[in-house]
Amino acid sequence: MDYALAVATALGALSIYLLLPRGRGSLVKTGALVGVLTLGAAMLYLLRWAGLQEGVSQGAGLNVFFCLFALIAVISATAVICHPRPLYCALYFVLLTLALAGLFILLFAQFMAIVLIIIYAGAILVTYVFVIMLASPGGNVTVADYDRVTTNPLLAVLVSFVLLGTVLQLMFIGKPRAFMAARPAGPVAVGMAMGHKILAGKPALADPKPTSKMGVMELLGVNLYSQYALPLELAGILLTISLVGAVMIARKNEPAAGVLGTGQMPTE
Amino acid sequence: MPVMSQAVLFEYLSLGAVLFVLGLIGFVARRNMILIFLSTEIMFQGVAVNLIAFGRYWMNMDGQSFVIFLLTIAAAEASLALGLVILLFRRRETLNVDVWSEMQG
Repeated sequence: MDYALAVATALGALSIYLLLPRGRGSLVKTGALVGVLTLGAAMLYLLRWAGLQEGVSQGAGLNVFFCLFALIAVISATAVICHPRPLYCALYFVLLTLALAGLFILLFAQFMAIVLIIIYAGAILVTYVFVIMLASPGGNVTVADYDRVTTNPLLAVLVSFVLLGTVLQLMFIGKPRAFMAARPAGPVAVGMAMGHKILAGKPALADPKPTSKMGVMELLGVNLYSQYALPLELAGILLTISLVGAVMIARKNEPAAGVLGTGQMPTE
Repeated sequence: MPVMSQAVLFEYLSLGAVLFVLGLIGFVARRNMILIFLSTEIMFQGVAVNLIAFGRYWMNMDGQSFVIFLLTIAAAEASLALGLVILLFRRRETLNVDVWSEMQG
């Protein structure tokens, strides 16, 4: 067991527990202080760990931009679950999305970064904001009662951080494992491996064959429309069905104009 | 694309785990129905980080393809969930999930 990691996890649990909204005696400042300590400890730990791995595997090391975006992501995710006002939660979620888009660009997933911003920040979050404004509590209260309290914060934090601690301990103990050896060796192998994988056993895609010169979007498109063509169509159907269902669910419950059987859609 | 070392992969995986756990806490602890669904979106994001990091590590596009499906599911879930939230809000004029606690088995 890695005690430094365990201590950092416990500190994180404490800070989330303090930051969660509670009715009386808010401890946000203490929680934020502990949270900053936790993040600093986590970064130091990662730095030390990456330094240790540097000798074992090439190219290990901590990217400055990874640290930056990861910090923004974790802080804004914490703010989403801890902020008492739902609208601010939604805005912090947008910040989380932007940070993750930055991380995706670091991972050579530029298309996914843009898609994430368009779909999450542009579509899903706008829907959330609309619903938050539609379903605001009556009267002139700024924060509803149920947003000031949480149920079982101790239990939730304990269970979740035991899970997190276990996962992290498993990941950060020991040396790089043997499954690395099975990986294609370099950039040249990539395009080849992809080509073989995508085109294996398939009638020839007329054009274009995946090569190492293709861009990320092209490779993604070929992958989606050859290997995952059927799931992609099913996903489209699922999305249509769910949108129609959402419209039906959220319809106003108005009395029908005539008797049943007039061809009108049934209300609830 | 240069090869990604396993150490870097683990950094991304730990970030994904942290995001997932934060979403889990929000899902269990918060009372506001909208925020509960927002917490599931945080969990989705954590999984998306994992998938894309693995795809980058193994040098194939499967991770990114899976994230596209994940975004589809997230959009479908958000639309249905928010429709239900609107419906429930019309019934009781509150977003508190405890109001519906008589539904427990």
